[in-house]
Amino acid sequence: MELLIVITTFGAAAIRMAIPLALAGLGESISEKSGLLNIGVEAIMLCGAFFSFITLFFTGSFFLGILAGILGGVSMSMIHALLSIRYKANQTIVGLALNFFALGLTSFLFLMGFGQTTTLPSTPVMSNLPIPLLSKLPLLGGILFSQNLFVYLLLIFMVLTHIWFYKTDFGISLHAVGEHPIAADTAGIRVHSVRYFAALCNGALGGLGGAYLTIVKLGFFQENLTEGKGYIALVTVILGKRRPFGVLGAALIIGGAEALQIRLQTMGTGIPSQLFSMFPYLMTIMALLLTIGSADAPSALGIPYDRDER
Amino acid sequence: MKRGMDGLKSLLLVVGGTVALAFLLILMVGGDIPTALGSFLRGIFGSTYAMGEVLVRATPLLLASLGVGIGFKTGFTNLGAEGQLYMGSITITTVAMLFPSLPPLVMIPLVMVLGFFAGGLWALIPGFLKARFSISEIIMTIMLNYVAINLVGILVRTILRDPAYPYPMSPMLTESVHFSQMLLPTRIHGGLPVALVMVIAVYMLLFRSRLGYEMRAVGLNARACRCSGIKVDRAMVLSAMIGGGLAGLAGVGEIAGLHHRLIEGISPGYGYMAIIIALLGKNHPVGILIASLGIAALQVGSMAMQRSAGIPTSIASTIMGAMVLLLVVRDARSRITIVEEGV
Repeated sequence: MELLIVITTFGAAAIRMAIPLALAGLGESISEKSGLLNIGVEAIMLCGAFFSFITLFFTGSFFLGILAGILGGVSMSMIHALLSIRYKANQTIVGLALNFFALGLTSFLFLMGFGQTTTLPSTPVMSNLPIPLLSKLPLLGGILFSQNLFVYLLLIFMVLTHIWFYKTDFGISLHAVGEHPIAADTAGIRVHSVRYFAALCNGALGGLGGAYLTIVKLGFFQENLTEGKGYIALVTVILGKRRPFGVLGAALIIGGAEALQIRLQTMGTGIPSQLFSMFPYLMTIMALLLTIGSADAPSALGIPYDRDER
Repeated sequence: MKRGMDGLKSLLLVVGGTVALAFLLILMVGGDIPTALGSFLRGIFGSTYAMGEVLVRATPLLLASLGVGIGFKTGFTNLGAEGQLYMGSITITTVAMLFPSLPPLVMIPLVMVLGFFAGGLWALIPGFLKARFSISEIIMTIMLNYVAINLVGILVRTILRDPAYPYPMSPMLTESVHFSQMLLPTRIHGGLPVALVMVIAVYMLLFRSRLGYEMRAVGLNARACRCSGIKVDRAMVLSAMIGGGLAGLAGVGEIAGLHHRLIEGISPGYGYMAIIIALLGKNHPVGILIASLGIAALQVGSMAMQRSAGIPTSIASTIMGAMVLLLVVRDARSRITIVEEGV
């Protein structure tokens, strides 16, 4: 019985850590499937986190907060899409510059709104939303069905994306655009529209992932709140091979590492906490090493499509 | 001729766009533009000390961004200068604490070489993994940054800790490892001439040596190089290593010239700014030199602006990001017009 409780709390914690990674990773998978490589997930998440926090703080509405987070993320992904598609810019450079831009902008706007304070301004966090009946299930009920809204949203999005990717014509279009844009174009698929739509999904999901950090997990915002989570989300994409449930699995592995390190940190072992903080990053490196020899990126990933080019 | 004018016009567009954004941000925090601008410029040119501060900041930025630039030229997207810098600073601290009695003539070259290798090794890992297994160096280098930063945190709390202080930091390092101060009262130190020499060295490497030629060729088209017998993996790994070494040297310089002890957070993101600088300087040593001075001035100026006009310093990174984005648009636009002209 004791063990069951431990497993339940740990599983629930791992899922909570995995949510932002999985949401952002899912968005990036959609983007990469279409051929858009966006390194700026960090920027998307950071803007999502900031704008949802600030909206929640001033309006008190979780709904508006979530909406603002999505819009914040979308604004970043659309800048990236515009520069990559319209101006055919180097997608990696645009993503990097966006990360810098978002880091500066969110911290600037935050200081503008609140000044240099010793106590961080905070908001209430979203409470858990146990699903009636299902939450009473042994084990699974505690891990999966006594969670917050974002967990359910994530599961719904996972299923929807899976259906989109593998069961619909639009999914075939998406794959075609990422694998062979010329052929897709010839077949009458509007390459650029599909890519813009993919970028839109990426921004919305990543923004949602960022929003989760502030309005569910923390209840406050601070400079560089995401601390590289956007980059870790990129790893979940590679490790999960851009498949929705693959990404979820990868996010759970890294989220589990995160949950474990927090557990160990709070146990008070006298070991410097940095050793544990290092853990998720090392785990990510290990995970990346596991992908050796199984590269399966879309053929047109990162390459701008130009109709007139042969 | 027409294209020259267009080039000038688009450059003005980048500068104008950046300045407009800066003014907008200043107005948003309720700042007064003349006051802010005045304190920005005074912060940079106001005194010998102020101008010296720009050079002090430019020193690690220049070294790290030369390193990043070499990687970019070879197609190795090195985002790990931050971690490589910290590995350099860990190395100099460890060596100075292990052998405190070495004379400066031995000590200084020793810590520079070892610091170079430590930074190089930290970049060699992702370099090798990319060359051999095509694992994304972008993610690997970022992850290694976090590992290195946490490693510093562990070391200054355990084996490198100064027991005399309650704070996590290393003891003051022996005098023989200190770089000499120059042009007092500024804080300029021996790291600056080292960095300037490296500008020339990197130029010679990239544009006057066989290895540099191979590196540039690999950066342009790795597949063509492989077909024509250039050792792509070797060029990639060496470029990563040299680049990481330069960032490691930046870390050595910060300890030897400025802090004289290892503390957490000796780099306020120099490694990340180095990426922006390399992009702005088009990965050319001279461009990087100019961009380093510009970014250093932007930072020093924006710190003065925070002190006297209350504008948050994060304005600097916002501007840096926007500048690169505008520059990307500019490059893309000029490419598009050339295509349309049919050249």
